[in-house]
Amino acid sequence: MVSDNFLGNYASVVAARSTDKSILKGAQDGGIVTQLFAYALEEGIIDGAIVAGPGDEPWKPVPVVATTVEELLAARGTKYNISPNMQLIKEATRSYGLDKVGIVGTPCQIQALRKGQLYPVGLRDVPDKIALAVGIFCMENFPYQSIVQLVEDHANTKLENVTKMDIGKGKFWVYTGRGASVQLPLKITHKYEQAGCHVCLDYVSNLADVSTGSVGTPDGWSTVFVRTKNGGDIWAKAIAAGCFETKPMDSVKPGLDLVTKLATEKITKNQKTLAERATFGVGKGLRNPYI
Amino acid sequence: MSKVVEISPTTRHEGHSKLVLKVDDAGIIERGDWLSITPVRGVEKLAIGKTMDQVPKIASRVCGICPVAHTIAATEAMEASIGCIIPDDAYLLRVIMQCANRAHSIALHNILSLPDMYLPGTDTKINPFSPEEPVRSVAKRIQRIREISQTIGEIAGGEAVHPSNTRVGGMFVNVSPRAKAKMYDLAKEGLALARDQMEFMIAIFRNYQKRDWAEVGGMKVDIPETLGYHNQGYMATDPIYGSSSLDENPTWDISRFNEVRPWDWYMGEMEVTDDYPDYPVGGTTAKGTKTWPQMEANTGVPLYDGQPVEVGPRARMVTFKNFDEKGTIGQQVARQMEYTDSFYKLIECLDALNTNGKVFVDELPTGDGSLGWAANEAPRGSDVHLARVNNGKVEFFSMLVPTTWNFPTCSRALTGAPWQLAEVIMRGYDPCVSCATHMIVVDEDQRIVAQKLIQ
Repeated sequence: MVSDNFLGNYASVVAARSTDKSILKGAQDGGIVTQLFAYALEEGIIDGAIVAGPGDEPWKPVPVVATTVEELLAARGTKYNISPNMQLIKEATRSYGLDKVGIVGTPCQIQALRKGQLYPVGLRDVPDKIALAVGIFCMENFPYQSIVQLVEDHANTKLENVTKMDIGKGKFWVYTGRGASVQLPLKITHKYEQAGCHVCLDYVSNLADVSTGSVGTPDGWSTVFVRTKNGGDIWAKAIAAGCFETKPMDSVKPGLDLVTKLATEKITKNQKTLAERATFGVGKGLRNPYI
Repeated sequence: MSKVVEISPTTRHEGHSKLVLKVDDAGIIERGDWLSITPVRGVEKLAIGKTMDQVPKIASRVCGICPVAHTIAATEAMEASIGCIIPDDAYLLRVIMQCANRAHSIALHNILSLPDMYLPGTDTKINPFSPEEPVRSVAKRIQRIREISQTIGEIAGGEAVHPSNTRVGGMFVNVSPRAKAKMYDLAKEGLALARDQMEFMIAIFRNYQKRDWAEVGGMKVDIPETLGYHNQGYMATDPIYGSSSLDENPTWDISRFNEVRPWDWYMGEMEVTDDYPDYPVGGTTAKGTKTWPQMEANTGVPLYDGQPVEVGPRARMVTFKNFDEKGTIGQQVARQMEYTDSFYKLIECLDALNTNGKVFVDELPTGDGSLGWAANEAPRGSDVHLARVNNGKVEFFSMLVPTTWNFPTCSRALTGAPWQLAEVIMRGYDPCVSCATHMIVVDEDQRIVAQKLIQ
């Protein structure tokens, strides 16, 4: 078990991608989340997963309880705005009747999940029904209106025509169905960030069973941290079942160094924000949820 | 020369109450008052002016053992007032919640009643917490029945304690096919366990009935054959679910109902003249203590045809199934007989439930101030809520809760029993004193008269 100050505790880290072409087709990166849930669903490890499904407006996610592979496939791709996945955590165990719940979330959502498991305030019967928590890397998130602004105004692209968005290589990328792509410097996006993200001290979903993201691996691949015993068991079975193609992390570029670098940047910057809150006012400060 | 004994607080039931007993020289109760000393929370008063959607959620908090009863009765009272007929599948989900809650409640009451009872053929009282057999497996079975029931209630109702799924106009969500299958499997398991548990409990109560004496705090007390007999009537609206003023033929008659103050029904000021420090656990109230049931009782006294009535499992059995056994044991036996009925009804509703069906009305009326009422057959009896809703707001709200009906009835049933068994009689009613305690008291002219008592 590795215990890293910026990358959390993990048993192993690999570069991986799904071996299923139909999953990879619409996936953001290596199709890890979709593939892992599809495998767990088919094997009965979970009987449903809370994922960010399509909503009524383009690129606005709505949390759904997916109980079929089709529903999982419909949730592929990153939507860079808020999807309150934890909203369904209790309902999944109620009217959906699930016993083994899977959930994907950003670091903060996985934190909420773990807090709910340890301190279940109004979450009766939820703690013991969590079967698989997959975390995704997250630098920051945006409100929906910010995405409208960035795509429609800054990138001059109709949101409905967008097929993929990506933040990578220092740019915000917007791709359309007709082949055009626009890139915005991240400097432009900063003022649109959700303010609450600025006190977040978790980049690679430290509290998940398995966490995954694009940074560290080439396009079409994902970096995967296997963290808990539960995550390790499921990951090993999925590998044995031929769900994933993997490479050792030190054999790929840019590798773990870049992940560590970005994690360090995020945490250091946000720690500073937190420290500033203590003396925000004159003779008084703002609340710090970590103390 | 009669003496006054007071047991305060009473135990192994929900809430806070006491027994004030006038007994003869032999310790036989001549006249007993069982009264609520639970602080009045005044749900009916604070409901006024609130929206019809929030009042049922507040009413639910009257009691955490039978929240389903208050949620459903309050919601349906609102629906009765605004004239809203809910879709079939919403109704089925409510009946499923109802049955699940009833099974859980009976099982919980088993735990409360068993310590009064004896292992058949022995002089050993049952301690449900004992790790020894056969008690251990019974306790485990009770817990499994409760777990099953609470889980079903949770799936259909959103939450086992204070169901979240009900709303005025139906339900928030229907359940998934998987959830229906899960409830099915649980109900099948529950039915088998409930049958075993029912048979076990009835055998235990029948054994008590055959006994001549019981031991209470080192005192050997004769058990009268007429333990818990009374001559009050019975009231029930349905074997399982309930009735409302929207029904074609409502089974509760508001014109036969009246509510009076404890003043008219309870004993006056007295002094406790005898005490028994050995009464388990901690003894009875000390000699010389002043007691005043009329003033201290924190419930209204609802009357049906001018008399207190008994509500609950036996009242349902008497009304709908010609059950004819009186007294505490008859009451306990009737309660056990509802075990299997709950699960049969539950399975029947699951058969009928369409998981794709609509569970909320297309259009929700907001009300014009008409009076509507809904009776829910709570585990402990008829829970009748009355409401006037105008423009979405509650103008009037009143709750006639089972234990409120049973308080004066049970008080009468105490007569003729040794005072040491007064609590056994009381437990036969499965009292829920928090439920019972809520207050608007009106006199014969329907004016509110009890405010001075509340203050």
